[in-house]
Amino acid sequence: MDEKRFEQLLLSVQKPGRYSGGEINSVIKDKNKVDVRFAFCFPDTYEIGMSHLGMKILYSLFNEREDIWCERCFAPWIDFEKVMRENGIELFGLESREPIKNFDFIGFTLQYELSFSNVVNMLDLAKVPIKAKERTALSPLVVAGGPCACNAEPLADIVDIFFLGEGEKVDLEVIDLYKSFKEKNGSKQDFLRAAAKIEGVYVPSLYDVSYNDDGTVKSVTPKANAPKAVRKRVEKNLDDTYYPEKFVVPYIEIVHDRAVQEIFRGCIRGCRFCQAGYIYRPVREKSIDTINRQAKALCENRGYDEISLSSLSTSDYRNIEPLLNELISWTEKDGISLSLPSLRIDNFSDELLEKISGVRKSGLTFAPEAGTQRLRDVINKNITEQEIISTCRTAFKGGYTAVKLYFMMGLPTETDEDIKGIADLAQKIVDEYYSLPEKPKGKAVNVSISVSNFVPKPFTPFEFWPQITREEMVRRQQYLKECIHSRKIIFNYHENRTSFLEGVFARGDRKLGEVIIKAHEKGCKFDGWDECFDLDKWLEAFKECGINPEFYANRMREYTEVFPWDHLDYAISKDFLIKQNELAKKAQTTEHCRKKCALCGANVFGEGVCFEKR
Amino acid sequence: MKNVRLFYKKGGRMRFISHLDITRFMARIIKRAKLPVWFTEGFNPHPYITFALPLSLGHISEYDIMDIRLCDDDYDIEKLPETLNAICPDGIRFFKAAEPKLKTAFVAFAQFEIEFDDKGELLKPLSDFLKSESIEVSKKTKKGDIKTFDVKPKIKDFSLNENGNTVLKITLPAGSEENINPELILTAFFGSGVTNYSCYTVTRKSILDKDLNLFE
Ligand code: SF4
Repeated sequence: MDEKRFEQLLLSVQKPGRYSGGEINSVIKDKNKVDVRFAFCFPDTYEIGMSHLGMKILYSLFNEREDIWCERCFAPWIDFEKVMRENGIELFGLESREPIKNFDFIGFTLQYELSFSNVVNMLDLAKVPIKAKERTALSPLVVAGGPCACNAEPLADIVDIFFLGEGEKVDLEVIDLYKSFKEKNGSKQDFLRAAAKIEGVYVPSLYDVSYNDDGTVKSVTPKANAPKAVRKRVEKNLDDTYYPEKFVVPYIEIVHDRAVQEIFRGCIRGCRFCQAGYIYRPVREKSIDTINRQAKALCENRGYDEISLSSLSTSDYRNIEPLLNELISWTEKDGISLSLPSLRIDNFSDELLEKISGVRKSGLTFAPEAGTQRLRDVINKNITEQEIISTCRTAFKGGYTAVKLYFMMGLPTETDEDIKGIADLAQKIVDEYYSLPEKPKGKAVNVSISVSNFVPKPFTPFEFWPQITREEMVRRQQYLKECIHSRKIIFNYHENRTSFLEGVFARGDRKLGEVIIKAHEKGCKFDGWDECFDLDKWLEAFKECGINPEFYANRMREYTEVFPWDHLDYAISKDFLIKQNELAKKAQTTEHCRKKCALCGANVFGEGVCFEKR
Repeated sequence: MKNVRLFYKKGGRMRFISHLDITRFMARIIKRAKLPVWFTEGFNPHPYITFALPLSLGHISEYDIMDIRLCDDDYDIEKLPETLNAICPDGIRFFKAAEPKLKTAFVAFAQFEIEFDDKGELLKPLSDFLKSESIEVSKKTKKGDIKTFDVKPKIKDFSLNENGNTVLKITLPAGSEENINPELILTAFFGSGVTNYSCYTVTRKSILDKDLNLFE
């Protein structure tokens, strides 16, 4: 399509800036001078994808190499998709505006299950055959990574290669292998077999899955010398791991428009519902020097006025106070505000708190996740009511009037008493406020509770549990509503239909691939967006494929069952998960990695928290 | 304190960036260039920047104006375009920095050049259309209802040419008092049913004061 016509069409959509490219620090290369072209696809909107750290890292890492040109690609919003389809525009890379179907790699990052239909839709828009076996040529290869690769089975018939774990090394190794095959005109089949030998590479077509009569997996058998289990890759030393000095600076407003500095990977806590807490183990920290140097470079190159530290449970960084003091020593001078997204406020000095904008702006936030101490012990969330109340008290005295609490509903062993506990806790905070003589004068307190639906995920101690049914979600939400008596408490809850679909795919198997394709044909896309999500279409698709979604979401699994993800080795032993689940049933907690090793299995990498002195 | 007027062109992929996004972008560029800019006071200080005349999304501009305020009176402003261009994408090119001659409130007209993708086919019908006694156009008011009015008396000047394609040059009221977007007229033209739709590109060539002198 000629440039002029294309640009005219762009002007007919809502936010052309999503598709125009040309941002500062975006990379343009001479296509005749590169050997490998890579389309880095984020299966959601530009605004969401551009806020994502993993994409920024890999985009820069790939483009550092002279022989690779990596471009970005996002899911076009409904209005532009229509324009594309009507005018025969194929999905293109933002930088070159050339169709990605002619690229060597089409790589997706899988951040959430609800983006699966967008993966299929994007392949369709690219005019690339959706099923892996229909793509017989060596390229384009469809590859995928990200947290959902840990149970990628629903996409097993669609994706050629999954990257398990952290991508910095394995991606480049696969690209190099590909280059050698491209040079000698090798076949896709041979390439995939060779790639499967690289640690962290999962080639789903090299595994045969058989099923029992009841629909559960009977066995997964590797072919062609593929490994029996594929182990995830981790970066051993984060101080030596590549980190970009500059990010692409978007023109249009995105979700998080700021410099992001990673400080560690993994999480020591072991909350039993949290997949991220297990699949990114073990905890590995960057040194203060590294963080300081990288953060400085980012601010230098970006002109941003905010830098955000990124990690799970940020305050678990061992030297957090010295780190913050070091950063504040120059950010303050340069007019850059520092923010910490996930923070436990309890262990900070007031003086330090004052300086951190994220805390100042967003008010008080807690994630007790469950309403009673018993259930918090079940999920191993070690935060007590007393801690919450006393932190609130201090904050109220300091002039705060708003508190935000995050909970989950449908956790294993949850009863109505636990639900009521959510309302009770919120009420206690309200009462605490009014009992304080020093409360801010003339102001009302505001306690908001946000309740999401628990989704059992692979590689967590709760991977065996059923998700509660949609009817039960509605009942519990209703019950909670009845338990709230104060107008000072605002109750927000999460839609049950999307949670259900997420629950199906989180622990899905290969049979779901057909369903995703069928749902795509019915027009499903952007399932994470209320205005697009249509559960009825999904249910039709399940029905037409003869698949009962409740089998995946709402069924209790035995310890002996073979799971669709059992051949993916995230270095979390099943014995450990079973033991944790048994402790959970008895409401017994487990100490975090720094207090005592719980022998999860992540020490096989020979690095990180497992080897710190306790 | 020293007021500085920066003149720049906007085109290429920057065409697709709205005025609001351009404001944020410019603030960032200024910050990145480490210019000694004056910051607004108040709760959320930001560099003081004003634009003479917002540009519609999709239009190219060969004459855009942005004012900043520098704290350092001795700052050599001649180098400013070069400094800023070094960190700007190709779509933004600064070509001049000078002390403002008029306040931005004195912007009165803008001159546009519109090139159609029509192989000259529109030359005649467009000329007839623009020469008609009155040209009814509709505009959404701020309140959201549609207002219809005759735009003909407001057209200060126009000329038509052909270079293989039809090219229209037109001068229209611009600024805070009255502002007419050339697209209004084009929409009316294509809506009149005398021709088929054709793609076109709108370029703002200049900004003028009330005496039709270049606004500087
Ligand atoms: S092996 Fe021990 S210290 Fe290492 S991540 Fe697992 S529980 Fe934590």
